[in-house]
Amino acid sequence: MLEAQNLSKTYTSDGVDYEALKDIDLDIKRGECVAIIGKSGSGKSTLMHLLACLDAPTDGSILVDGRDTSVFSERTKNSLRNEKFGFVFQQFFLNGRDTVFENVTLPMRIRGVSNAEITTETKAALTAVGLEDKINKKAKDLSGGEKQRVCIARALVGRPEVIFADEPTGNLDTNTGSAVEDLLFALNREQGITLVVVTHDSDLAARCHRVIEMKDGRIVADRRKEATAS
Amino acid sequence: MKTWDLIKTANRNLFRNKLRTALTVLAIFVGSFTLTMTNGVGDGMRDYVESQVKNIDGDRVAMVRKKIEQPDGPTNSAAVEYKETEEADENVIDPNSVLLSQAQMDSVVHDVPGIVGVTPRYGIRGEHISVEGSKKYKLELGMLSDGLVAKTEAGTSVNGPNQIVIPIGLARALDERIENLIGRTATIGYKLPDGSVKTAPLTISGVMTKGFMTNNNSFVSSDVAKTIFEDQSAQAGADKFLGFTIQMESNDPEKIAEIKKQLDAKGFEAETVADSRQRTYDAIGIFKTAMNLFAMVALLAASFGIINTLVIAVLERTKEIGLQKALGMGRGKIFTIFSLESVLIGFWGALLGAGAAIVTGLVANQVFVKFYARSFEGFSLFAFKPLSITAIMLLVCGIAFAAGVMPAIRASRLNPIESLRYE
Repeated sequence: MLEAQNLSKTYTSDGVDYEALKDIDLDIKRGECVAIIGKSGSGKSTLMHLLACLDAPTDGSILVDGRDTSVFSERTKNSLRNEKFGFVFQQFFLNGRDTVFENVTLPMRIRGVSNAEITTETKAALTAVGLEDKINKKAKDLSGGEKQRVCIARALVGRPEVIFADEPTGNLDTNTGSAVEDLLFALNREQGITLVVVTHDSDLAARCHRVIEMKDGRIVADRRKEATAS
Repeated sequence: MKTWDLIKTANRNLFRNKLRTALTVLAIFVGSFTLTMTNGVGDGMRDYVESQVKNIDGDRVAMVRKKIEQPDGPTNSAAVEYKETEEADENVIDPNSVLLSQAQMDSVVHDVPGIVGVTPRYGIRGEHISVEGSKKYKLELGMLSDGLVAKTEAGTSVNGPNQIVIPIGLARALDERIENLIGRTATIGYKLPDGSVKTAPLTISGVMTKGFMTNNNSFVSSDVAKTIFEDQSAQAGADKFLGFTIQMESNDPEKIAEIKKQLDAKGFEAETVADSRQRTYDAIGIFKTAMNLFAMVALLAASFGIINTLVIAVLERTKEIGLQKALGMGRGKIFTIFSLESVLIGFWGALLGAGAAIVTGLVANQVFVKFYARSFEGFSLFAFKPLSITAIMLLVCGIAFAAGVMPAIRASRLNPIESLRYE
């Protein structure tokens, strides 16, 4: 599904080069549940951004379904992200003044589908996260856990193949955090959506089938195991 | 993203910060209001002048006069070189004078194709006019060149022998019901060189519409004018004239232009009714442009308000733009949303500004009519034409769009990762 080959990323600021990723090789299969862990500055976020085609590598390439994305145009990458990927961020990025419904519709509006389809899919996604009764609430009136569930609905609404979650529980307390985790793992298990979670929460990482540990821009460990707790 | 969604999104974004949007719209409102007003005054003047100059018409006639060779420069007091001539030959045109005889003029236009007639413009003076049973009124008399038609309130312009067309003010003095005057005989008097007054009967063919091209003149046709002119001028050299009227075969502007060109090569300038109107319109046009330039300054200032508003909006919404880009929205759509926001600001400002200007203008017109109606009959201080208003609205929206380009490009170029991290 997602493949990284000889992946390197170097940032240059004030004439000083900083190697965020050094020669990464990685293969994520369809339906996998992968945690990328590491300390801040280890390159885990950079790796996720490259895998999600949000950024271009300095060297090497990302293959999505076996196709090299480095030759893709900006437009193709945009529709790839819009149609195949879903995103959940630590800081939610909801528009507080808009309703839950409007927030969830965003990927569908960007895609430009009919209003009827938007309504059906949005309701389905909100039902999947258990927030169908909050559909007309303003996003700012929700609790933290509800907000993150709205974000998951937004990631889910376009029926993606991969969901990228960047510290999805970082802003939540333990109880609401684990509810959000349950939701994400359920999507992976029941709908076969590939899950890529970036976290430094070892408990969250422990619930994933595969844990990739990063340090100083390199993969230092890549462990697979049977899912036990979920 | 569908167009309608883009417009809805842009509109919703504007309403997020109502006060800021309202203030920016207000600045555009002021500019648009001013522009609509200045343009309305210009159009009002033009309408008035148009109604005034249109009371004389004729599209196959031109006034012709000899060009005078004048040294360049601001003063006319410089000496002009005298050119020797052989006085003997009648048909040689005196290069030192602008006066020509009918025969000389005939020879000038003789080989210009498309000219069917030449008449001198006889300068005549009237003394008094009356109809049976009325008082005598002072008569301002002029000649209506063949081919020119006076616009009338009643009757027709002069179109037969021994006719006269009179201005409306005079007509009302002669008879309250001006229609009754048509076909009646008026007695006019004009002074002879010895000081005595000669009278002549003329039929009133019509009553002219008011207009400042004719003032309070009454007009007679060229043959009546010729008779009066011959009576009035006993002195030598009276057979030479300053100006002539030419009658042309066609009213095709290209053919008229060709005739003018040929006359120009011979040292004569020709001016049609349309030309003289155009001169007046040009003067008003310059006035209108100057006024509009002031309004444009206001709009220019307002456009900086739009730039400012949008630059701040881009900063405020950096994270949101980052999210939209991450979720696959292209640069073009981001640019479009911000551009639409600035065009919408322009649109609302223009709509409200133009609307307020029209209301103000119409009220001002009522007030003006009350105080000055007598001196300026048919004059509206402001005229608002749908085409002008549409043009102003488009212009304001265009300016707003231009103002939005820079912030919109900045928004569209934001990097999604950096934007999501923006604090």
